[in-house]
Amino acid sequence: MKLSYIIREGIIGIKRSRMPFMISVFSVTIALLVVGLGVMAVDNGLQFIGEFQADYDLEIFVGNEATSNQKHNLAAIIKDYPGIIRMDYLSKEDAAALYNAEFGEDVLSLLDDNPLPSSFRITFEEDYRTAAYIQKFMQNMNALGGVDEVIFKKDLFNRVQGIMQFVYTFATVTLFIIILATVFLTANNLRLMILARYEFIETVRLLGASDFMVKAPFFLEGGILGFLGASLSVLLIAAAEYAIKYYVHIDLPVKILDHPEVILGLILFGVSLSSLGVLKAVRKMLRFVA
Amino acid sequence: MIRFEKVFLRYDTGISLRNLNFSIERGEFLYLYGDSGSGKSSILKMIYMDLFPNAGSVNVLDFDSSHIKRGDIAKIRQKIGMVFQNFYLLSDRDIFSNIALPLELKGIKADEVRRRVTLKADELGIRSRLSHFPHELSAGEQQRVALARSVVDSPEILLADEPIAHLDLTAAAEVVKYLWKINESGTTVIFATHNEKLLKNDPARTLSIVSGEVVKDRAV
Repeated sequence: MKLSYIIREGIIGIKRSRMPFMISVFSVTIALLVVGLGVMAVDNGLQFIGEFQADYDLEIFVGNEATSNQKHNLAAIIKDYPGIIRMDYLSKEDAAALYNAEFGEDVLSLLDDNPLPSSFRITFEEDYRTAAYIQKFMQNMNALGGVDEVIFKKDLFNRVQGIMQFVYTFATVTLFIIILATVFLTANNLRLMILARYEFIETVRLLGASDFMVKAPFFLEGGILGFLGASLSVLLIAAAEYAIKYYVHIDLPVKILDHPEVILGLILFGVSLSSLGVLKAVRKMLRFVA
Repeated sequence: MIRFEKVFLRYDTGISLRNLNFSIERGEFLYLYGDSGSGKSSILKMIYMDLFPNAGSVNVLDFDSSHIKRGDIAKIRQKIGMVFQNFYLLSDRDIFSNIALPLELKGIKADEVRRRVTLKADELGIRSRLSHFPHELSAGEQQRVALARSVVDSPEILLADEPIAHLDLTAAAEVVKYLWKINESGTTVIFATHNEKLLKNDPARTLSIVSGEVVKDRAV
């Protein structure tokens, strides 16, 4: 079976060029470590900034004189409003309990009557969470009967949104540059690894190997290389997170092991980067080997 | 089997082949005789489609150089055995693996590979060397390994480019004897050499090349 030749030659190739292979695995590990740490830092950064944002975007206070019917009406309108992902109703009793929990005082013991209004706390979907949309929503709500006041902390909201946007853009550009550098450096390294195998490529071509038979073992070798490099980088990132938790005492909100999609992404990136990088290097070399 | 028609080849360095017209029939033993740089290796390279003529055509096993595809080159080479002056042995694998390579590339089963490699190693007296590496062998032994590899898949054509150039007299005689033996089994052998004595000791059809031209095509 030619397949057995490809698999055997791919594995033998690794054994025979252990040192260049290890160096290439190491270079892929370092490259993906940088990429992976970048992704995790951005995720954690955004999570950290996001914590400055309230649990909800906006609060609609209901007038004390609003009838039960008006409240139901209001709830139904809010519920059907496009872009709202969550709506929580806080009754006057809930508001008093919250006051008690936050300030440690029972509002009913200070005053004879509970002055705190009932309210709706609204959270918008990510795509609708813009100051303009929320302000439009406020206008619509203010026009409804039973609404006493709509509170939206626009300045804080805008500020946090702005910072998050900046971090996101900056991180995307930086990550893009890192990935480009990674691709370039890894491809260069793989080219050197393949260059060291010129003798083999030239000989097997002379012996009648088709281009496919020359490339296939290297493609496999590249895949194994990328898988090992990427797996190693995931382990190192997890180890770094562990070290931060136990030595710096910061429990990061976003951890790589909780995100299989990031792990899978890094492994796929590593495997495709290496196997395609190797393939490209072999193809280039084949141009010089008749 | 092999046909050169009005073949011209120019190198940047100026060395060239001029107006080559000859045919080689199945089962022939042919010497390509000429000094270094006369164009013998270029002719061999054109036979295994490593070089292509600037004008004219080379036809090998019904494949024509003027419109051959890259994939077909591999097919031709699978039917051609080659022995070079510098052996082309892979230094990072043992002798068994070196000889077995053409068979493995074809996907032949391991048992059959072992049988054929052992048979050829026996014929060439290198069986005891199968687990060694090329650098552990003498030049004569390395050439016998290269010879074993070139014939292990029973090629239709065997190209030998100065195969005895670096060998002592005894080793050279053994290689030549073996090439004749291969030829007797039906393989076409093309032997490039600058050794005039060889032509006298083992006469065969000889194409004499001088400065890229066939100046004499002498039958036995």
